[in-house]
Amino acid sequence: MYISPRNELSEFRRRYRWMRLFVFLTFLVFVGRLVYLQLINGDDYHQKSINNVIRTVSLPAVRGRIFDSKGRVMATSMPSHTLVAIPHYVDMGEGFARLVELLGLDEQQSRQMADKLNDYQKDLRDMRRFQQISLLENLAPEQLAAVKAHQDELAGIDVVDEPRRFYPYGEVASHVIGYMNEVNGDDIALARENENIIDKYRPGDLIGRKGIERSFEPELRGIRGWKKKVVDARGLSLSREKTKNLLPDASMQEPSPGYDITLTIDVALQKLTRQALSGHPSAAAVVMNINDGSVLAAVSRPSVDSNRMTRGLSYAENDEINENPYRPRIDKTLYENYFPGSVFKPFTAFAALEEGIVTPEDVFNCSGFHEFGGRIFKCTHSHGDMTLYDALVQSCNVYFYNLAEMTGMDRIARYAGEFGFGQKTGVGYNTEAAGHIPTREWYDKNFPGEFRIGHTLNASIGQGNTKVTLMQVAAAYSAMANGGTLYQPQVIQSIETPDGEVVKAFQPIIKRRVSVGKHNMDLVMEALVGVVEDEKGTANSAYNENVSIAGKTGTAQVVKQSRKKGDTMAEFYYQNRDHAWFASVAPVENPEIAIVVLVEHGGAGGEHAAPVGVEIARRYFDEIAPRHEAPLLADSPSDSKSNVRIPVEDSAPTTASAHRH
Amino acid sequence: MAGSLVYNRRDEFDWVLVSVVFLISTIGILNLYSTGVASGAPELYLTQLYWVVLGGIGAFVVAIIDYKHYERYGYFAYGGGILMLVLVLLFGKEVGGSVRWFAIGEFRFQPSELMKVLLVVGLAKYLHHDPKAEGRKLEDLFVPALMTGLAMVLILKEPDLGTALLCLLVFLSIMMLTRLTFRSTMALIVSTPIVAIIGWSYLLKDYQKARVISFWNLFVDPEADKLGAGWHANQSIIAIGSGQLTGKGYLDGTAGPHHFLPECRTDFPFSVFAEEHGFLGAAGLVFLYLFLIMWCIRIAAQSRDRFGSVIAVGIGSIIFWHVVINLGMVMGVMPVVGITLPLFSYGGSSILTFMFGFGLLLNVSIHRYRRNYGA
Repeated sequence: MYISPRNELSEFRRRYRWMRLFVFLTFLVFVGRLVYLQLINGDDYHQKSINNVIRTVSLPAVRGRIFDSKGRVMATSMPSHTLVAIPHYVDMGEGFARLVELLGLDEQQSRQMADKLNDYQKDLRDMRRFQQISLLENLAPEQLAAVKAHQDELAGIDVVDEPRRFYPYGEVASHVIGYMNEVNGDDIALARENENIIDKYRPGDLIGRKGIERSFEPELRGIRGWKKKVVDARGLSLSREKTKNLLPDASMQEPSPGYDITLTIDVALQKLTRQALSGHPSAAAVVMNINDGSVLAAVSRPSVDSNRMTRGLSYAENDEINENPYRPRIDKTLYENYFPGSVFKPFTAFAALEEGIVTPEDVFNCSGFHEFGGRIFKCTHSHGDMTLYDALVQSCNVYFYNLAEMTGMDRIARYAGEFGFGQKTGVGYNTEAAGHIPTREWYDKNFPGEFRIGHTLNASIGQGNTKVTLMQVAAAYSAMANGGTLYQPQVIQSIETPDGEVVKAFQPIIKRRVSVGKHNMDLVMEALVGVVEDEKGTANSAYNENVSIAGKTGTAQVVKQSRKKGDTMAEFYYQNRDHAWFASVAPVENPEIAIVVLVEHGGAGGEHAAPVGVEIARRYFDEIAPRHEAPLLADSPSDSKSNVRIPVEDSAPTTASAHRH
Repeated sequence: MAGSLVYNRRDEFDWVLVSVVFLISTIGILNLYSTGVASGAPELYLTQLYWVVLGGIGAFVVAIIDYKHYERYGYFAYGGGILMLVLVLLFGKEVGGSVRWFAIGEFRFQPSELMKVLLVVGLAKYLHHDPKAEGRKLEDLFVPALMTGLAMVLILKEPDLGTALLCLLVFLSIMMLTRLTFRSTMALIVSTPIVAIIGWSYLLKDYQKARVISFWNLFVDPEADKLGAGWHANQSIIAIGSGQLTGKGYLDGTAGPHHFLPECRTDFPFSVFAEEHGFLGAAGLVFLYLFLIMWCIRIAAQSRDRFGSVIAVGIGSIIFWHVVINLGMVMGVMPVVGITLPLFSYGGSSILTFMFGFGLLLNVSIHRYRRNYGA
């Protein structure tokens, strides 16, 4: 056996045991750590690793469409693609250059995009770098194709489908339809507390803001779905095959689309109503089916295109709209209270007739004014001897002052109340004003000791403290024309599934039958025919022999204003001009529709509002509901030919009508 | 003479060492395949295979020639390493802010990797000729400390904090083999924190400091900072932990194929392995490394002379510290420092260096029964 010079090694020999012990203990620590990580906390880390790679992607629910009564699309969702990024994973060198090349961006666009990404990337500790941000909205088809085809080269970049709301008719019915914008903190908090809302709102979601979009948000919205997909750390999707064992069984929930809504509005009528009002900067009109209360047109001018509102306004645009003196944001058919003026007179007449205070034959003399309690109550001019018929046709105030004196405020209020005045109509969209019908009690409560009969006189002609909305007037005139049934105005015909199955059909809602006798209503209706057709009628200047219409003009006084600094004379005159009303039903025989027109600061109702109402009626009979039988009043054969005309003015897409109706 | 140069009838081939090295390398290559297969770079494992084969052949060549010849040229080897470090600072290729590589076409060689082994050879030569029966005083440590310090300063200039630190640890490990006086031991213990403070203040780059801080934060609050600088450590722990007892299965992990560990091939291959093979696989691999290092100590203990012992302990300590720092990093018990896992991490310089080391080990092991011709 060879003996090596081990003495030289003696210095080292005693160390090996300690080295072995040290190495062994160190490795024991590692095995201990593995036990801790893999065996003790393994489940926890396993879950974390799955969460790491599984990303839940929302699948947007397709919002319900809104159709008009003829099936024309008024609101729909268009497919749209947004380029998004998780900044952390975006390579700002080659990757970004490739992206710019694929999108075909110019230098300025690419610089803007780079700045945006850099903003998120510059600070390593900024958690926002892991948030999905949108880089480019509304991708063009070729951009979409380019990005999709080269997805694997674009780490951190993705395309998401974000349907955009589109309103083919723009501002035609924008107050009724409303618009959408992004949810705010309050919306999210409210929805969170509401058990009925299953699909809670998240930041970035859109919500209906006005009109039908807002009122029927729950029905239109649908419920979003989700899909779990396996991604790598750069957010790129991986094939299912490689990752099958990572995905849970339920990896997808289809979204359920929202319900479609069919309105009672007829866009063609809505359009022509707008056109009839086009000469007036600030005006409104309602056309209603008198036999069921459905709203066929509701126009408020001016208005803002729903597409523009949904897209979002710049500060400048927003200021411009807010400062517009004609108040484009206001729905003047519902939100605004107006003095009804003489449009109210039929209801004063009903009170007096029903209470037996006057007969149609009773005569009052109008000398141009009425003196009561030391005060002068004016008429437009001296009308002479007036019966009820004359007083309505010529809109004589003095006649109604006498009526009011005898009838009293509370009785007038009771009959007005029966016709729906002083209460919200419940049409169900937008903020609605209730209007106001004064009573003794109201005066005693709010102005103790100040009540005078003079207040009654003012109330009888629709002034003083009497306030109404256009929708109320339309409903009341409908009731008057249909024999006394007050319907609740409705704007929705039905709610359907996307396949067209009716979920809910809206039946006419009768609020009440008014207690006014048919003969009294016929009396008033007869006078309303005279308003238009009688030579002395206040609306006779608007008379068109081919148009069968009966109505009442009104001139609502506005609070006189002194000339403000900076106002031109034209503006000054405009502000002090009275509001012009025309409330009507058509045709005279077997009436179908009520047409209510209000022209703000239009002046006299007969001259400025009545022609609008007559024009709406004329075109309604021409274009919307052509008379197939001989016209009731006119017998011109050339006219009956033109009645066959089919509306051709609709340039907007009506594809939905093809398969729906 | 030729016979004694390459073969002697007393030589005994070390099949155990070769088997362990072969086993770890093979597992490493298979593991690399898993990290690359889903990321579109599956050819990397082949590159690694070439390096392992090339390095293995080199190791046999290094092993066969009796190491007494290397002993003779020990200082030349060390000097050559230092020269390379100087040259790399002058002519090296800058990558990611540091100058560590010689670029020869596609291939990049990192002299600081090789320097670790050459330093061991240099120190072995010095200790071989400086046998002591009594404890070593401070002045006895001067020359080996200078040899180590020179290498460290050059490596820190690149800068390559991890490798410099490793040189220091190798030096300390080898010195633990010798008998030190109480004063020397204390001096080493006291000087360590001083060096650490100086290093922190003047030598560490901001990104390195951030990693150390993030490690500390992770240690204090494991949930904090997991998206910032602690991303790697956190993802590595998740990957390892999620492997549980038996793992997710080969090629079915998330860390590698899903890019959750962007540097998984060089720094975090163990995490990928532990995720796919679970505790059984990971503990098995840890045991293989433990066995390898214990085998190094055994070779050192059986070596015929001091040179052989120091070589074996030195190479063993390189392996040991690489494993400790790398596993400590991937298991979240040490800061993230870019130190490779021997034979497991991707990289030509690393593989060649370790294979060179194994060649020396094998050499010491094969020739342990030969007569000692040296001093």
